[in-house]
Amino acid sequence: MERFFQYIFDGLSFGAIYALLALGLVVVFRGTGHLNFAQGEMAMFCTFLVWQYDAWGVPLILAVVLGTVTGFLFGAGVEVSLIRGVAKKSEAGVFVVSIALFLGLNSLAAMIWGNLPPEQMPSLFPDEPNDFVRIFGAVWRYEYIGVLVVALVLMGLLFLLFAKTKFGLAMRSVASNPESARLVGIPTGLVLASSWGIAAAMGALSGTLWGGIVGELTAGLMFTVFIYAAASATLGGFDSPGGAVVAGLSIGVGEQLAAGYFPGWIGQELKLAVALLTIFVVLLFKPAGLFGTSKVERV
Amino acid sequence: MRLLTVENLKAGYGPLEILQGIDLVVDKGEIVVILGANGAGKTTTMRALSGMIPRNGIVNFMDHDIVGTSAEAIVKLGIAHVPQGRGTFADLSVEDNLRAGAYIRHDEIESDMERWFGVFPRLKERRSQKAGSLSGGEQQMLAIARALMSRPQLLLCDEPSLGLAPLVTQELFGVIDRLNKEEGLSVLLVEQNANLALKVATRVYLLETGRVVASGSAADLSADDSIRKAYLGT
Repeated sequence: MERFFQYIFDGLSFGAIYALLALGLVVVFRGTGHLNFAQGEMAMFCTFLVWQYDAWGVPLILAVVLGTVTGFLFGAGVEVSLIRGVAKKSEAGVFVVSIALFLGLNSLAAMIWGNLPPEQMPSLFPDEPNDFVRIFGAVWRYEYIGVLVVALVLMGLLFLLFAKTKFGLAMRSVASNPESARLVGIPTGLVLASSWGIAAAMGALSGTLWGGIVGELTAGLMFTVFIYAAASATLGGFDSPGGAVVAGLSIGVGEQLAAGYFPGWIGQELKLAVALLTIFVVLLFKPAGLFGTSKVERV
Repeated sequence: MRLLTVENLKAGYGPLEILQGIDLVVDKGEIVVILGANGAGKTTTMRALSGMIPRNGIVNFMDHDIVGTSAEAIVKLGIAHVPQGRGTFADLSVEDNLRAGAYIRHDEIESDMERWFGVFPRLKERRSQKAGSLSGGEQQMLAIARALMSRPQLLLCDEPSLGLAPLVTQELFGVIDRLNKEEGLSVLLVEQNANLALKVATRVYLLETGRVVASGSAADLSADDSIRKAYLGT
């Protein structure tokens, strides 16, 4: 039984990170209707920035804030400079740009930071071997608890932003009908740039949390997280922030349970395939995802 | 008082020039109707006036030259555009649609909302429903109420009767007429339904292939035989 609780708890912590990155995907998708394949690599790059700020002597918390702000500006800059012009001309063009961004950032990170010995990402939370409590017999490491709490708080803040603020209303309006949004005076360009900025900032935070758990920073840091996040967004529905959170947590837990209870034929190696299989099955049977809206228009 | 002066307005989509030079004026308190067949340039005129497409010529609104002004800034100056096909935010609630309509304003938004709920009681009943679940007539009411939330000086209304049952259309024109008489709202209205439009109009412009081919009071144009034949079917 304690094994079960252990899998559930570890799964929730990992899942919270997938959900954060998935929320970034959803925010971009709702705003501009594109899947940003570079979401994970942008997060990885920002995580390196956090590490770099920290290495330069900036206090860790401040380094995280700086990294997140840099991430926001970076994301907004990408939308304005790379995506906006291309999106007007072709949808496939945006796909190519985001793949190029993926490869470019990956190489750039490897070029800047790759020649150093593997960087040790400092953790935001106490992570000595005995920093844990036992609940229901399962080990709850302080770091995992911290990750889960921070991720849940961030999601809560994002939902407040969506539902309760004027900016959130503008974002939802632009997502719903960009032309009408302009007609009521919403600066749609600013809203779209901010959506990409918020997505990249969420990525920076999910990368920093994940880097703290993994410990070692490499250019491949966010690769698997991105696959899980993409699976979460697909499962939850690409236009549903709530869906992304529920699906992210479920996939985190499902992954731990599958790998833990079937170590022989799923184990650590095949659990990524479970995520990809999830994407496949969802797209086949419920393409809008569990909580997404399929496009129905009344005329 | 002159609200809107348009001279030699040209606009189109890319290389395709649809408006060949439109002249029109709207005075305060008027309901001006633009009639014309499909493809005459009615919707393009509306989109040019609200800043949704690039345009040339003279567009003067309340002493502001707005020919190069962005759509967002034009709303702030006091022109609200109800687009063809309504353009409601389908997956937002009725209330959120109205709040979005008041995006450029900062206070008295909730009280304005209640005020328009008084004029459109059916929207009040459905205030927390998603706009996409409303009937066509209700969505048209919502689109108008949303435009009014910006407290416009001039309402541009692009074919509000499109796809609506005759009774619903009549009710809608009744509301527009009332807003004009009771609130002093100035309206520039595009319509294919000439019979109904002429009843509420103070003045009429007739558009053909991007040009104004006739204009005058509603009574004058209704009396013109060739116009009656072409647009009123009698």
